[in-house]
Amino acid sequence: MALLQISEPGESSVPHQHRYSAGIDLGTTNSLVATVRSGEAVCLPDEQGRCLLPSIVHFESACALIGYQAQALQSSDPLNTVASVKRLMGRGLEDVIQLGKVMPYQFVASEGSNVPRIRTRGGDLSAVEISSEILRVLAQRAGQSIGGDLDGVVITVPAYFDDAQRQATRDAATLAGLNLFRLLNEPTAAAVAYGLEQSADHLIAVYDLGGGTFDISVLRLNKGVFEVLATGGDSSLGGDDMDHVLGEWIIATAGFSDIDAILARKILIAARTAKEQLTIHDVAVITIDHEQQWGHEIHRYEFEELIQPLVKKTLLACRRALRDAGVGKDEIDEVIMVGGSTRVPLVLSMVGEYFERNPMCELDPDKVVAVGAAIQANILAGNKLDNDMLLLDVLPLSLGIETMGGLSEKIINRNTAIPVARAQEFTTFKDGQTAMSIHVVQGERELVSDCRSLARFELRGFPPMTAGAARIRVTYQVDADGLMSVSAEELTSGVAADIVVKPSYGLTDTEIESMLRASMDHAREDIILRMLKEQQVEASRVIEAIDAALAQDGETLLSESEIAQIQEPRDALEAVIETASADELKRLIKAIEEASEFYVARRMNASVKQALTGKKIDEVDV
Amino acid sequence: MQSPDFSQNYFELFGLDPVFELDSRRLQAAQQRLQATYHPDRYISADDRDKRLSTQVASWVNQAYETLQDPVKRSRYLLEINGATTPDDSSTTSDTEFLMEQIELREEVESCRHSDDPLRKCEQIETRLAQRADQLAAEFVTHFEARDLDAALLSSRKMQFIQRIQQQLSELQFELEDF
Repeated sequence: MALLQISEPGESSVPHQHRYSAGIDLGTTNSLVATVRSGEAVCLPDEQGRCLLPSIVHFESACALIGYQAQALQSSDPLNTVASVKRLMGRGLEDVIQLGKVMPYQFVASEGSNVPRIRTRGGDLSAVEISSEILRVLAQRAGQSIGGDLDGVVITVPAYFDDAQRQATRDAATLAGLNLFRLLNEPTAAAVAYGLEQSADHLIAVYDLGGGTFDISVLRLNKGVFEVLATGGDSSLGGDDMDHVLGEWIIATAGFSDIDAILARKILIAARTAKEQLTIHDVAVITIDHEQQWGHEIHRYEFEELIQPLVKKTLLACRRALRDAGVGKDEIDEVIMVGGSTRVPLVLSMVGEYFERNPMCELDPDKVVAVGAAIQANILAGNKLDNDMLLLDVLPLSLGIETMGGLSEKIINRNTAIPVARAQEFTTFKDGQTAMSIHVVQGERELVSDCRSLARFELRGFPPMTAGAARIRVTYQVDADGLMSVSAEELTSGVAADIVVKPSYGLTDTEIESMLRASMDHAREDIILRMLKEQQVEASRVIEAIDAALAQDGETLLSESEIAQIQEPRDALEAVIETASADELKRLIKAIEEASEFYVARRMNASVKQALTGKKIDEVDV
Repeated sequence: MQSPDFSQNYFELFGLDPVFELDSRRLQAAQQRLQATYHPDRYISADDRDKRLSTQVASWVNQAYETLQDPVKRSRYLLEINGATTPDDSSTTSDTEFLMEQIELREEVESCRHSDDPLRKCEQIETRLAQRADQLAAEFVTHFEARDLDAALLSSRKMQFIQRIQQQLSELQFELEDF
């Protein structure tokens, strides 16, 4: 029986259309995109079946390569290949100079802006622009996979990200042309991915140890409502630090001195490899080729002794977060592990011991954040009308304003539920005063100089009055993304102030607008150029492979005319590699592949034959 | 989006009786019900007006929840909606007995650090403070119900002081706990 459908006044009764959405984990080392398909959240792979996209961007003069292709060019062209750009988001020149010790890039200041740029062949670029390149590739991947344009995305950020870092992430989404539904905290996303929402009154700790950062969040889960009680962590503690302590052990054990950049890199790579091996094995062998080869065994217990202080530091942060949440550790029902570094057995065992329970690590710690983001994006897109899941988050760091003597007066304390608004009243201290300035900072310390400067707000246009007569109410609003805005009003006259925002480390609206305009102008061109560049890279690879094969066995396996048959399309490709269009290159590459098919087959036969030569039939493994 | 009535007080907003003793589970359930309706996540695709309004309402609900959840803030808020003027924290008191109690408690908390068994000492003080907080809350309720708002305000301020000492003590315990 058909029931009459009655809709609320103003609500449409048009049948609901499915809207496309995706969740994006924009990581320091790797990024991922996931979407909900037939009710299940899945990470989307590239054409080669790889879900992870290295967060690396390589710049040519007219286009950019992103991911594995950029990674391949990292050591040959480090200055034009930007990695770990997440660490620069929302950061100023001073911070960047600090990071400059570990990052090889050439940073430049641009006139009238506080945002540092990296000088590349593609121009002087901010972290926001570079991140937007990564977002664009992921959005494209999602668009191709679902066969349509995305209506919106959820992008994850570390819970401890401050206002400037969140704003920068939001700006990157705008620049990539994405409709950002929401910025979601990574630990919250992980909790969502584990699908515990049906539990009643559960307390969850999410332990997130990545390559460079540590994050801990305590959540209360009650019938679909995820309420963050407290969050904490250390923005410079992660798996990289384990590599460093092991690296130091290698240096001390091997007695290396005069360590140059190349040797330092070799040591770090060896340390990382050993760390990964010790995840599965009890012993790892470390070898380093330097002048002469050095090799040494390391037992897991030795490695664990080295990293134990690091893991302990994360547990101290857990303890602080539990205290902030007002929760005893014995009250925690589940501990969820996130981030590649939680694969280290000592991390798992120490966390388990601390919380006195086995941590949950069934889901791939690399994918869990993107999966959670995709689930949230699907709900925000309105595709699950019956769903009552709700995420209630908190402000990770206190907001304050600068007062006399360079002190920070807290307006909103950390771990306050967001969205939140607070109002403050000020008065004028000079006759006829029509403007005032407010400096907003974020952080827990007393001195403004120890906190992060967010922005200076200039409030203008109050009616002139005698000193002390005006009553100016300033309202600080933090929205559900954790982003702050300020509004002000003179109460006796009801006049709203004009507000000029000067972000300390962010891009101004005008800067974003002009970048956006430039990117729209170039968007089509950029895509065409990128496709061209990709085909050029592929063409050189094919030519190199053909040359190498011919040099090795061309004369033994092929007749002269056969060589010519392969050589001809190869030369044709080489002749136009810099001038042909992407489609043309693609066609020529295909022609080579077809022309050399018989040669490939012959080479395979030859190698099988060689493997068999000189062996009795019963020695051959069949 | 239908705007809620912003002239309601926090108790009305949550559908609770305007009294000091309240059921924290009912408060939490009411807060979650309101957030489920008004949270900005429910208005992702709405127009700018509704988006702004939902942020405002959700902020208001959070502020209300934070106020009613905390006994000290709740007591002050009860006084405010009943027309009492609640001077800010910096105003002084002339209750010498209470002043003496403040000084003694502060000194006692500080002395834990140097006692033979600091954590045990902390625990003893913690129990006493909890008892004192209950006692003051009961006092508040008595005065408030008798409509003696001045006396109720004094109890509320004493509660606030005890809460601060409790925070100080918990900070000290955190510091002292062997880890």
